[in-house]
Amino acid sequence: MWETIIIQPMTNLLLWIYDFLGHGPHMFGLAIILFTILIKLITLPLNASQVKGAQAMQALQNDKEWQDIQKKYAKDKEKLAQEQMRIYKERGINPFASCLPTLVQFPIIIGLYQSITRALSVTPYDMLKLARTIYPFQNVEGIIPLNSKFLWMDLGRPESIQILGFALPTLAIIVALTTYIQSKLTMPASTNPNDQSAQMTKMMSIYMPLMLGWFALNFASGIAVYFIISNVLGVVQYAATGRANWSNLLPGGSKKISSAKKK
Amino acid sequence: MNTKRLKLFVLLALGATFLSACSGQPLANNWPGLATDSEHAYLAAGSFVYAVDLESGEEVWRYPAEANGKLLFYANPVLTSDGQLLIGSTGKEHPFISLDPATGKEKWTKHFTENKGGWVGSPLVLNDTIYAPNADGFIYVINLNGKEDADPIELGGALWSAPSTDGSLLYVTSLDHYFHVIDPATGVMNESIDLGGAAPSSPVVGSDGVYVGSFASTIEYIKTNGGHKVIAKTDSWIWGSPLLDGQTLYYADLSGKVYSLDLASGNQNWDIVQPDGPVVASLLIVGDQIYVATEAGTLVALDREGKTVWEKTVGGKIYTTPVISGDLILVAPYQADFVLADYDAAGKQAWTFVPEK
Repeated sequence: MWETIIIQPMTNLLLWIYDFLGHGPHMFGLAIILFTILIKLITLPLNASQVKGAQAMQALQNDKEWQDIQKKYAKDKEKLAQEQMRIYKERGINPFASCLPTLVQFPIIIGLYQSITRALSVTPYDMLKLARTIYPFQNVEGIIPLNSKFLWMDLGRPESIQILGFALPTLAIIVALTTYIQSKLTMPASTNPNDQSAQMTKMMSIYMPLMLGWFALNFASGIAVYFIISNVLGVVQYAATGRANWSNLLPGGSKKISSAKKK
Repeated sequence: MNTKRLKLFVLLALGATFLSACSGQPLANNWPGLATDSEHAYLAAGSFVYAVDLESGEEVWRYPAEANGKLLFYANPVLTSDGQLLIGSTGKEHPFISLDPATGKEKWTKHFTENKGGWVGSPLVLNDTIYAPNADGFIYVINLNGKEDADPIELGGALWSAPSTDGSLLYVTSLDHYFHVIDPATGVMNESIDLGGAAPSSPVVGSDGVYVGSFASTIEYIKTNGGHKVIAKTDSWIWGSPLLDGQTLYYADLSGKVYSLDLASGNQNWDIVQPDGPVVASLLIVGDQIYVATEAGTLVALDREGKTVWEKTVGGKIYTTPVISGDLILVAPYQADFVLADYDAAGKQAWTFVPEK
């Protein structure tokens, strides 16, 4: 099932884009970039609902009624949950709206990784699996094996650049950096010191760059290209809404905003 | 670290583990290589090369003695006339290794740096020189003492199969769709022909030309005195090498069809012969029987009219070309309960080999 609904369509789409681009050197890298843009466009409504959901939840954390029930029912978790649900219902907030798009991204990342490794077929067995993956209407004999070179990288292998005898994992660093920037920019300022959502977002902005950087360090560099493009597009998309919190990129930026708002 | 942070960290770590598990380790993922002499079968499977006694089916030695994460074998090992067993690794450092076939002790190892590819294809030994095809698109020219004798020959596409020879020229197929004719004396490429599809298996040399199968689903005939043409088309990609027997060329494709082409007339000798699964391994002919190993894990013996003489369920998936030693047919299935089995000409299984952990 995973194979049929995720791997096969993704691999075929990647191959189709690669063929459309002329299947020369660097074209598989471009195919991954176009694929990422396509995925971003498809998940645009989901991302918009994520942003909306996150902002609604954020606004709620600073709401007086919300804060009051937190204090009032601090020792009665069941009642607190009932009251929270009431407020969600009254204000038309879906508490899971901000999580869903993240969950949707996860199978895409796994599927893309598997599709990239399959399309690039490092081993004969991978090549055989690729033969099974291709839709009958795709005429790919002429484009297989794919050219895995993109700029200085081999997209089927983890990337590093030799500098003074050291293998510097540049893509992993860029992935971690862009993930950090994206999460910081999209992190709304909170005035509530007990804001659990803000604390969670702050932690995510530390762990996610480390996790994605680790992936980029250890797996095919094609997936790192996906992460970077996806992050950059995420930043552009958020900036286009005018909500990007650029001051968060500066040390103590969010604190300054919080204290400024308190004054 | 408070409880919430710990929970989040554990969640992300689990996510990382999940993604790692799903993605798998592509390099460790391939079928074994196989060779034999009169006493032993040599199986290159995963992290080890095993020598197995042909009479008892017992392990004689393994190389290396302990699993080594840097070594990974899938190419067919090759025996040389001066008593070496040659095998390249696709592991981290891509060493090319010479072993003593009697003991499994290392005779020499030539290390290839990180940026060079792995060894998927087997080497060819011609006039005391080893021509080793690498996935980085080069043929490395090494003498029997493990020293590079000449500059590597650059061909371009990944090389997954052993070069063939008529005794004077090298014939090499490449995944970049090309068939190359190389003069080993000079290392110069005499001719390159576009096959229209990747060619993962070795060409077969006939008396006046060479036959090559490819993913273009064709058999290309390249004449020794110049010129080439498609002499047959198949329903699907051709993976294994064609098998030449007199004036008949046998080959199979990924649709599972087995073909018998009369080279004199250009006609097929039989209509449809299709065992139970796709055929990746090259065919094997012994006496009057043609052996076909299928992905469904079946070994089929056909007569020359294409009729099934017997068929045996071996298990797993068979991608490795079976080899013959005396009267025995050795089969190395992939993802089966055992890694090697032997059959006699009547299809009776003598033993199976399962390596001890």
